[in-house]
Amino acid sequence: MTLGAPARTFDTADEALEACFELGWTDGLPVVPATAEAVSAMLAAGGLGPEEVLGTVPTRNVTVTAEKAAINAVMAGCRPEYFPVVVAAVRAHLQTKANSHSTTATLAGAAHAVIVNGPVRQEIGIHCGQACFGPGFRANATIGRALRLVIRNVCRAIPGELDRASFSWPLRYSFCFGEDEEATGWTPLHVQLGYRPDESVVTIQSVMRFLQVTEFDPSPEKILDAIAEHGRHAGLQRDEWAGDGRSVVVVIGTEHQLRLLDQGWTKERMQNYLWPMMTADTVGKYDNKLHLADPANIMIVAAGGPGIAQSWLLVPHLAVPTHEPVQSPVTIAEGSAP
Amino acid sequence: MGKPPRAGGFGQFAHPSNVGVDVMALTILDPTNGSIDGASSFVTATRPVTLDGQTFGIMANGLGDSEIMFDALYAKLSEDDGVSDVVKVVKASVAVPPYPEEWDRFIASATVAVTGLGGCGSCSTRSMRDALDLEAAGIPAVCIVHTALVPAVRAMARLVGCPDYPIVTIDYPHNPTGVWTKEEALALASEIAPAVRARLTQPS
Repeated sequence: MTLGAPARTFDTADEALEACFELGWTDGLPVVPATAEAVSAMLAAGGLGPEEVLGTVPTRNVTVTAEKAAINAVMAGCRPEYFPVVVAAVRAHLQTKANSHSTTATLAGAAHAVIVNGPVRQEIGIHCGQACFGPGFRANATIGRALRLVIRNVCRAIPGELDRASFSWPLRYSFCFGEDEEATGWTPLHVQLGYRPDESVVTIQSVMRFLQVTEFDPSPEKILDAIAEHGRHAGLQRDEWAGDGRSVVVVIGTEHQLRLLDQGWTKERMQNYLWPMMTADTVGKYDNKLHLADPANIMIVAAGGPGIAQSWLLVPHLAVPTHEPVQSPVTIAEGSAP
Repeated sequence: MGKPPRAGGFGQFAHPSNVGVDVMALTILDPTNGSIDGASSFVTATRPVTLDGQTFGIMANGLGDSEIMFDALYAKLSEDDGVSDVVKVVKASVAVPPYPEEWDRFIASATVAVTGLGGCGSCSTRSMRDALDLEAAGIPAVCIVHTALVPAVRAMARLVGCPDYPIVTIDYPHNPTGVWTKEEALALASEIAPAVRARLTQPS
């Protein structure tokens, strides 16, 4: 495989690593050296040629190729079999309505949640359960980091240049988790979005606010009331360009899942219960309308582990959640790519 | 023989088995899209001698109360300089390009233009891009930017190969994101009018 990226040679691995820091190629953490062999293996696992275009950021004159994504995936620590998920994440992030320029240059420092559905979770070990938002799981950590390194290195979102976050936040190192589809039997997110259950899909949600909702009352209504109340604290203004697609993601934790399942609640029922409360007119400074066009704009995902009665709200920046199927080399060869 | 490995390094630890062993050279690939500095072939539009009779374009992003300032800026230049007409686009989101039909309508009418407000990270850089795109379309333009965001718009100017592209700035104590009183917005219009005039016309 012929690669086009400029190469640099160093006497030792240590020197190569130090150069990655000095050249501004890392997120501040060590990276894995992106050798031609490792990058070629990544591309082969994705079934992609190096020049394949994954997307663009027109405002920045940026084109993201498979080769650049593969280099950054190697540096992030991905195994080759993770690469199809990285590719889907990059493609989803570069869809127009994901608003890459806005969500990565913003003063607000929005993060990007990579939510994975379908069989690929088990195939490569994407964690959906206890502690799934945090460190300790290679696929989660490195896939989320690969997207962030692409945003930094290829899309030019570097602090001091086009990353203008006033504070930024830790979710910008990596934020990837899977839906625990098996825990609840609820309709998985990707099926609600129109995919088959046996397809693997990546959904990207920009995250402007990451809100914890702890509610110990076992009543499903009280749990959902608390979720709506937390969302309404900040509200969600309408954005004309994002239009009717703007959505919140509600990650329902295990204890809340159990209480809701006990009473036979489905995702659709939860969406229909939450929507009127979330979209009611603004009452005051800390009780604001969330402009969500439809109950389907409340995207419910099951994840997390047992213990605390907790769920989380992922409130977006100026973007619409976008999704892409995970294309294995086999499906690409069979021509099933969209 | 290569340099000895340093203890605690990520790639090559000072393990006893490594002592005195040659360390292989390592070739790695560049993960970036190259330098942010674009080719320096950018040419700005030709300025009119005065604003008299010009159609004033406002490419606004709707940030905060900046639209009040832009409207007042047009009124001021109309009264003082004889600007004859105005065409305004308020983009559908703060950090996106105008819709194609908005762009077409704008460049069909505007003969000089202002963009902004460059008051947040994504909107400032996009508004700078709007100004640079207008220059490329032959329309003299200037982006109105808060000083807090000057490094951001400089990065965008470097990207298109025009690092020194002039801007007009608003400074503290005014809030960067355009959260102003109406009186403040009106006063700002008067304050920046001379700089906007100077930027959109030929040097005297």
